[in-house]
Amino acid sequence: MAGSGTAHMRNNDEVVLEVRDLVVEFKIGRGLVVNAVSKVSFDVCRGETLAIVGESGCGKTTLGKAVLQLPPPKSGDVVFEGTNLTKLPKEQLRSARTAMQMVFQDPISSLDPRMTVRALVEEPLWIWERGTEEERGAKVRELLNNVGLDPDLVLNRRSYEFSGGQCQRISIARSLALEPRMLICDEPVSALDVSIQAQILNLLQDMKDRYGLTMIFISHDLAVVKAVSNRIMVMYLGKVCEVGSPDAIYSKPAHHYTSALINSVPIPDPTRKRGAVPLQGEPPSPVAPPSGCRFRTRCPAATELCAAEEPQLREVNPGQYVACHHPRT
Amino acid sequence: MRNLFAQMNLLSKLSAVWMALMTALAVFGWLIPLPDPREYDPEASAAGLFSPGHLLGTDAGGYDLLSNVVNGARTSLLIAFISVGFGGLVGSAVGIIAAYRRGRLDYVVSTGFNILLSIPNLVLGLALVAVLATSSDPSVPIASNRRVIIIIIALTVVIIPILGRIARGATLTWINREFVVAARSMGMRDKDIIVRHIVPNVLPAIYSVLFLAVGVVIVAEGALSLLGVGVVDGVSWGAMIARVAGEFTYAPQSMYVPVVVVALTVIACNQLGDFLRGRLDLREGRI
Repeated sequence: MAGSGTAHMRNNDEVVLEVRDLVVEFKIGRGLVVNAVSKVSFDVCRGETLAIVGESGCGKTTLGKAVLQLPPPKSGDVVFEGTNLTKLPKEQLRSARTAMQMVFQDPISSLDPRMTVRALVEEPLWIWERGTEEERGAKVRELLNNVGLDPDLVLNRRSYEFSGGQCQRISIARSLALEPRMLICDEPVSALDVSIQAQILNLLQDMKDRYGLTMIFISHDLAVVKAVSNRIMVMYLGKVCEVGSPDAIYSKPAHHYTSALINSVPIPDPTRKRGAVPLQGEPPSPVAPPSGCRFRTRCPAATELCAAEEPQLREVNPGQYVACHHPRT
Repeated sequence: MRNLFAQMNLLSKLSAVWMALMTALAVFGWLIPLPDPREYDPEASAAGLFSPGHLLGTDAGGYDLLSNVVNGARTSLLIAFISVGFGGLVGSAVGIIAAYRRGRLDYVVSTGFNILLSIPNLVLGLALVAVLATSSDPSVPIASNRRVIIIIIALTVVIIPILGRIARGATLTWINREFVVAARSMGMRDKDIIVRHIVPNVLPAIYSVLFLAVGVVIVAEGALSLLGVGVVDGVSWGAMIARVAGEFTYAPQSMYVPVVVVALTVIACNQLGDFLRGRLDLREGRI
């Protein structure tokens, strides 16, 4: 698994974001390089929610940030609404990027503790000098109302006075201020209590409908992803394993890693039997990834072929693509 | 301001009052009818405390100590405030920008800070004064005003790396917060990110060290005077100590009056710095 390839790309008119062969590397000194994202391609259609899942360190957050050019990827293309962001000069990128906004994982760290909620939500409008003082104030109130916060109660308070869930609502309000067409949510609920997670997921769904957003939803939690996405992309160690609809991924995962991930989701039913044994061990270091298929060191079906040759994504069922030499059937 | 004062504990209040008093003396002290600090009273040499006409007594040479304290406050605090203010400004700006940019600039700047910090304050100040304020002709000494300026420059150089390293360190802790990444993704320019997000969060760390630095500089000024490179012929707290260093057994008040003034000022600075740090640190101060 963990392969490259572009078989899953849909070259139709509905594609809003197209990412091709994206590579992100971090130098960590002494000539060592972390291969955080290696030749990943994917596309997102208008109004769709693409979920990117994988365990910690698989490069999904880096991928999300690289789409926004934060920092710019080492190579590859990010084409958003026909504009290749990787080739844009700095100033044009600055304004092109406003059509995509990000919601971060840690709701508390993503808000400046010294600023009032009013200033936080108004900030994007302030940067772009949108509207007059009053118009901006009205917009802030509207946004706060939309995310379920009472403007009169919260406007003059600071982020540390709020709970994680409320902070995430403030972040979402801020990310919507510039009326983006795409929202990249980086683990937006993983820092929250389970009871709050559902509220925030519902809120994101509401906002998606209200503002006609296209979403990339990054998560390690398959249970969360199933509830929100139209399409799922499974990543492992900087590579794509499998792409498909939630139904396909859940009912008949073709990749051994996907299957292991699904089996690791806790089922709140003690009488139900578990499927295959969850994965053993840790993922290999992204500094020196295994040859061929990057998953082969933990894969139950690995053969010599997997070490020699990197699998490419190919269609196993209609709409379901897998990068594996020996897919599950 | 009144609000801030009300939140202080007793020690901080006393410190604030003391610093306000010293600052007032520095600014308005010349209005008080006191003997000329540089004119000796031939009839009252080594007068004790509370002598008639000399509230804090005189030193062995007959110079009025109160007048020297009051007028010395001007020089001493001027040196302290200007060098700390200017050094703090330059040091913080350089430290913040270096930490924000990282890379080679950061490497050069932090190496520079480390080199300066590895030299003891006093030696560094001494070397700078010696280089900048020596007269090639011994019969024409450097003017007192110019000496003050050179001491300010020397002490500014001492302060820059202290504040610079604090600012750099504090910036590094904020730079990778998600709200900075968020601001960038919203299209905020680096300049605005620094001004709106980095500086306000780094300031509390800087404030408390600024006050400590005022203390450091006041002591350094005294030490430089004692070593003979301060404003020796002028009027400053350091000059008072230096002048009587060899003869204070005749008039002990001539030593302990300026020493006590310097000590109280340094303690007050430290106390206020501590208070401000606690007050401005959101987590410590408000919850």
